[in-house]
Amino acid sequence: MTWSSRLTVRVLLALLAFAVLARLPAGLDIGFQFDAALAVVWGFGILSLVLLTGYVGQVSLCQATFAGVGAYAAGMMVSTYHVSYLIAIAVAVLAAFLLGVVVGLPALRLSGITLAIVTLGIALVFDRYVFQDAAFAWFTGGSAGWRVDGARMFGQQMDSSRHLMAAYTVLVALFCGVALLMVNLHESGAGRRFRAIRDSELAASTMGVNLTRYKLLAFGMSAAIAGLGGSFYPLVAGSVSPQPFWLFTSLQLAAIAVLMGVRYVPAAALGGVFMAFVPDVLTRFGHGTFRGQTYDISFDWFQIAVGVLLVVQLILLPDGVWGDLRHRVLRAAKHARLGSRAGTQAKGQETRQEEVRLA
Amino acid sequence: MTMLRLRDLTVKFGGIVALDGVSLDINRGEILGLIGPNGAGKTTLFNCISGVIRPDAGSMIFDGRSLMFAPPHERARLGIARTFQNLQLWGSMTVQENLTVPMDALGRRNTFSDALHLPFSSYAERASSERARAILHVLELDQYARTLAADLPAGIQRRVEIGRALAGRPQLLLLDEPAAGLDAHETKHLADLLHTVRERFHVSMLLVDHDMSLVLPVSDYVYVLDFGKVLAKGAPASIQSDPKVIAAYLGEESAKEPKQNGTVVAVTRRHDAAPLLEVKQLAAGYGHLEVIRNVSLAVRQGEVVACIGANGAGKTTTLRAISGMIHPRSGRVEFNGRDITGKTAEHISREGLVHVPEGRGLFPNLSVEDTLRLVSNSLGKAPDLATAYRLFPKLKERRNQAVGTLSGGEQQMVALARAVLARPRLVMVDEMSQGLAPTVVRHLFEIIRMMRDEGIAVLIVEQFVESALDVADRAYVFEHGTIGHSGSAAELRADRKLISGSYLGGGVRASNGNGHHADPALMEVVSVKMPATLKRTLEERAEKEGRPTGAVMMELLGRVKA
Amino acid sequence: MATFAAYTIIGLSLGGVFALAALGIVLIYRTTGVLNFAHGAMGMFSTFVAWQIFYGIAHPFWPQWLATAIAIVVGLAFAALMGLFLDLVVFRWVRTRPPVVKAVITIGILLALQATASLIWKNNQYHLSIYVLPKDWVLNVADVPVGANSIAIIAVALGLAFGLAAYLRYTSFGRSMRAVSDSPTAASLWAVPVARVSAVSWMLGSLIAAVAGILITPFINFDTTSLTLLIIDALAAALIGGMVSLPLTVLGGFILGLLETYPTIWIQSLGFPRLVALVVILAVLIVRNPRGLTATSR
Repeated sequence: MTWSSRLTVRVLLALLAFAVLARLPAGLDIGFQFDAALAVVWGFGILSLVLLTGYVGQVSLCQATFAGVGAYAAGMMVSTYHVSYLIAIAVAVLAAFLLGVVVGLPALRLSGITLAIVTLGIALVFDRYVFQDAAFAWFTGGSAGWRVDGARMFGQQMDSSRHLMAAYTVLVALFCGVALLMVNLHESGAGRRFRAIRDSELAASTMGVNLTRYKLLAFGMSAAIAGLGGSFYPLVAGSVSPQPFWLFTSLQLAAIAVLMGVRYVPAAALGGVFMAFVPDVLTRFGHGTFRGQTYDISFDWFQIAVGVLLVVQLILLPDGVWGDLRHRVLRAAKHARLGSRAGTQAKGQETRQEEVRLA
Repeated sequence: MTMLRLRDLTVKFGGIVALDGVSLDINRGEILGLIGPNGAGKTTLFNCISGVIRPDAGSMIFDGRSLMFAPPHERARLGIARTFQNLQLWGSMTVQENLTVPMDALGRRNTFSDALHLPFSSYAERASSERARAILHVLELDQYARTLAADLPAGIQRRVEIGRALAGRPQLLLLDEPAAGLDAHETKHLADLLHTVRERFHVSMLLVDHDMSLVLPVSDYVYVLDFGKVLAKGAPASIQSDPKVIAAYLGEESAKEPKQNGTVVAVTRRHDAAPLLEVKQLAAGYGHLEVIRNVSLAVRQGEVVACIGANGAGKTTTLRAISGMIHPRSGRVEFNGRDITGKTAEHISREGLVHVPEGRGLFPNLSVEDTLRLVSNSLGKAPDLATAYRLFPKLKERRNQAVGTLSGGEQQMVALARAVLARPRLVMVDEMSQGLAPTVVRHLFEIIRMMRDEGIAVLIVEQFVESALDVADRAYVFEHGTIGHSGSAAELRADRKLISGSYLGGGVRASNGNGHHADPALMEVVSVKMPATLKRTLEERAEKEGRPTGAVMMELLGRVKA
Repeated sequence: MATFAAYTIIGLSLGGVFALAALGIVLIYRTTGVLNFAHGAMGMFSTFVAWQIFYGIAHPFWPQWLATAIAIVVGLAFAALMGLFLDLVVFRWVRTRPPVVKAVITIGILLALQATASLIWKNNQYHLSIYVLPKDWVLNVADVPVGANSIAIIAVALGLAFGLAAYLRYTSFGRSMRAVSDSPTAASLWAVPVARVSAVSWMLGSLIAAVAGILITPFINFDTTSLTLLIIDALAAALIGGMVSLPLTVLGGFILGLLETYPTIWIQSLGFPRLVALVVILAVLIVRNPRGLTATSR
């Protein structure tokens, strides 16, 4: 397929996805509609990880923090400055972008686990200090948080449960748009430069890729994406508080991104749905009686499952559920195309790694 | 005409001087070879030029610009590109994409326009793709254009790396051990490829490698490093026959009479007995590289067997595959009648096969005595330290000192002391004499002899042929990842040409002659084709005559007119 | 002045806990290559087990000190078993993977442990602390009344640190552990039982984390999340020691404890100490790349 026809296909797919997803929750009750909207918010969070970790190979354990900054910034703009929600979103995204670049600065000198430690620290500091301390009340609206009653966008009222579908529609449209941009990015020259940094930073810099520019850009863009999702949170939930953006959310985002396959955009959609729907479904239907025994499956079970699945998956399937599936399909296709000799040779190369055997 | 000028480059790592005032020139259009024994400083020099290390002193001028503070991507922009010994391709991208990345990075692309597929990006994409395909065509890689880099065999990956380095239209191409892991046939192919590359892409090259069969035929001029200094420089043919270079590689000739104890070996060996260690058709490597293939050798009880051969030939990898440090890919290793192929290093060590690796395999933060006590893990009981101290009195003085603070010779003593204490059946020692003074080396070889007398078999890997053949009963000569020759030490010692040929290669491209014999000096000058070589010849001549280069040139020009 | 001394004691007690937690992290990291983000969560879990024994079962029937002792013993035994379990079931299979992968695995463990604890003991309740020494024991140090528990923490922290150092230095197995921590490749060539060293390291690390958790309950909100989040302070202390030197790690812990406590004289903020920890981490990482974390051969 030629390049531009691939692009056309992608655009069509994005439009199709939007058309389907936008109408999906219409028939459900308000609780599930809320979940659907939340799924997209978290979907943005995982999407931001797909860019930062999946494409560029930088570890980050503070993506919920960026979403939180977006949420608080939007809330602040509306409540304190009474601007239209569109402007609030723009400011929120910008704020998140700037914070992302700042967080990216240590990334220039650190990588791997040291970067993980720093981002963990940042998530914790924002969670416990910035989002909760009185010193930042101008930003966070104090312990009560911001309320965005009466928020308007495109002339439509967006806030509260009566207008949830409107907010959801805008969210889904944006998500499909950003997802499309990301897939385009992946295939483009800039995407290749990002992936070069991931595959071999040393080779990338020696071949002319300006590491500083691209790493900071990656962090900024990733934070902006998470912030975009977060900026809708006040609309969806009615108010902002620190709890949804605490450290454990960042960890869950990272865990679910890895579980689903941190290199693939569709994984973000899957992950978002997972994160938003499963806890609610568990709360609603997760208790009752079964053959005379009462059972109660709560949110905690969900998190246990995520943790255990993550461990199991990293031991067995390094590329995530979606990634592994994709691999199998592609390898089977390659086998058929190149013929078995090249295929088995390739397979052999994949499994051999330098290892010093310790046990 | 001088493209890269390095002057008085000095690099120190802690107390070690890796480079000591090295000066080097690379001229436009030239292929410069850089060789030297292990630890000579080649890699350090290479890393200075490519931007991985910053030198402590000296200057690096490329095309009039100083390289000292330029980050790697700046150097790429200036026109310096490199390949990597351990293959740093971008595995998740296709070959073609690997090539377009440097083109894009050095061109004027931006992320925003890329993400939105603006017309500018589309146009640039097409241009890059076409150029990439053109390069692939020259390198005969067309069929792999759409293959993922990670799926390629090592030999092809090497070529792709060269293609990628050429993609950014560099003026200088740095090649870091491009022959690593290639067999003789592939190496020859690579040599031809490099010539083609120079002609088609008009790029100068700096070639660092251990493999003389690549460096000497391909290079126009060669620098030899040893102990961080320039030992010799000259045309490949003269380097090959330079006694200083030969000594640096093969070791000093034994001053004393060969075999003063006579070639008569007094102790009877049980040659009929089954070998203690038997290696059959072993193949192994790292990641994508297959370094050794079809290696078969045997060691009998009470024998000392040497593995000699140039660096990169596979000696160390063989030992690692035997002791379990790396996993063999195919073949069999039998020790003491049991199959130990693929077993863990721990297991093999307990079976009585002790490996003293290159770098000695010691623990920097443990004291000498603590280190020796560790042997209880293989013995099953506390070791008899008194024996060790008797053999190495110096260690007794230093028993509470951290091993990391000992001198190289003392560290080697610790490693050998451990080998002795573990009461092994076979000891493998890798590059024991590296970086050590001759007196220390002699002492260590005495220990080897003593081990043999105690009935312990020894397999040693040595770069320095003379010492190895002095102590060994038999030897295997490694070439290109497999065994080239083998025989008793006496046989091999007699065939000196065989050995040096294995290290320094034979059959260098003869320089042109064109039948005129009028004036040898003039002939020397007009017989060369390229400006860089002309300059080198003039410089050498001038150095020999102790005159400035310009004067020589004027004189020769005068003769031409006449 | 009296306030300052009081704050110093508190800072040192807090620092003692950090030091202990950091010791466990460095031990596990050096011998297995795993940076254990779940360290705080593991300590938390063992502490809750001890708490459960103390307040749930033993309390009504036996004298206080006996109940405390039994609770602590059971808690520590559980910690050791948990460490062993993790090594055998999880980390044995990933020895050769890159450090980042191993660290992300510990994040999965963190999530699972924290949720399990929340399930059993409910997340938002403030639980009553375990007092190793009776709450009302007070000593006079330089005319300042100081809780005996604070002194106990400092004493235990120092004692354990020295004990661990002695164990590593003078016992045969300790030697093996040091060897593996210097160079796992070479260690296997010396027939050092790397698998066993790994298992013992995990057990010891978990034990030390449990001690830290039990000791700190009187000083912080005792719930399932706060203990887990101590990981960041422990990491900061470990980084001060460069992930290599045990004495420096302990010193780092005490320094961090003081650095986090002194500002509270002027700034009344629950979250501010976290900022201190982060700044320390950044400072240490940027100023000196600790050899332990970025050296190519561990």
